[in-house]
Amino acid sequence: MKEVENILRILRETSRLIKKDKPQELKALSGQTIHSATISQDGDNIVVAVLVYSLGKILEREHYKKMEGWSNFYTSVIKNLDLAIGSLEKNNIKNVRIYLGRIRNSLNQISGDLGRYIKDVFRKAEINKAFKLYEHGLSSEQTAELLGVSLWDLASYIGQSSIGDSKVAISMPVAERVKIAEDIFG
Amino acid sequence: MKYLIFDAGPIISMTMNGMLPIIEKLKGIFDGEFILTPHVRKEVVDKPMKIKKFKLEAIQVNDMIERGVFKMSNAVISNQKLDMETKKILKTTNGVLRTTQTGEKIKIIHDGEASCLAFSNLCGADNVIVIDERTTRMLTEAPQNLETMMEKKLHTSLDAELSLLNELKKFKFIRSAELLFIAYKKNLIPVKKSKELLDALLYGVKFKGAAISSVEIEEMKKLV
Repeated sequence: MKEVENILRILRETSRLIKKDKPQELKALSGQTIHSATISQDGDNIVVAVLVYSLGKILEREHYKKMEGWSNFYTSVIKNLDLAIGSLEKNNIKNVRIYLGRIRNSLNQISGDLGRYIKDVFRKAEINKAFKLYEHGLSSEQTAELLGVSLWDLASYIGQSSIGDSKVAISMPVAERVKIAEDIFG
Repeated sequence: MKYLIFDAGPIISMTMNGMLPIIEKLKGIFDGEFILTPHVRKEVVDKPMKIKKFKLEAIQVNDMIERGVFKMSNAVISNQKLDMETKKILKTTNGVLRTTQTGEKIKIIHDGEASCLAFSNLCGADNVIVIDERTTRMLTEAPQNLETMMEKKLHTSLDAELSLLNELKKFKFIRSAELLFIAYKKNLIPVKKSKELLDALLYGVKFKGAAISSVEIEEMKKLV
């Protein structure tokens, strides 16, 4: 795990914002994690970025809070988040991963629609963060691998990126590249 | 013999636009082979085959491999040789950029892209790599720009050791956009030819992942 201090700060802030029910602030906080995740290309940083963003999305959906299983999920989030913070304070990285993993695993114990809805939020958050990593300059293949999403899932998102429109991203005049294509096809 | 070496991106963007049959038509007028490396095959067949949403596309691409439209790279170069060269390229390219503050290396390309470069290095014949990924193209065509772009995106200062790239030969790259441009010019698209069609083809691949700017598309349309 890289940038332990930064992850610890983000987890503490996440716990505080969940308890105060501040979804917008949570989503903003997840944005902070992606810069460091790009540089470190560290799986733990990315897991935290996805988790924080997903929790922001989940908390802003008020109707989830009225669904069967919400109380169990919320309790699991708070409990495991605090346990992860405690483990990170003791530099026990293995336990941090276990507790953060338990938050997602707890979804398997929720019957009814809520578990499925929240799993979908996590999956979409992974694609969202993958797109952010791509926008921060990583290659699509590398991004897909770090987030465990497929290149096919990423393709439409990449198409929305403004990176290709940036002047510095143009590395050869159009006519020259078309000439390469025409030459190879004879 | 000449080779057109495909990265995963162009196959994905063309498939998602319903243009996979056009690749086959292009193969029909190409005096050479369309090559897939094992890493690329993994991305366009093996992985999507396990995802219901993309399984049909994976089956179609696999069918093109079985029918010989795409040839696997091991028909030309052994997988072992290709792997060794791929690793060498990864080591070189991913050592070029480091953060000024911590000296940490920034990994900018991955196995699939590197394997295409490796095949290009080893095949000993005229070849062009089809790649929609901007990063790999910039690495050899405009490395100075890559450094600027990454610094801007990462909001951190980077040190670049561009001399490392000297050992990479000058690769030739085109994108799915250029492939469709050729198909359009050679009347391989089964739709009435018009400027609107070309516009639709080029924007179609742009919105499915090809790194091409609107300015480039407008310029390309003027070349017809």
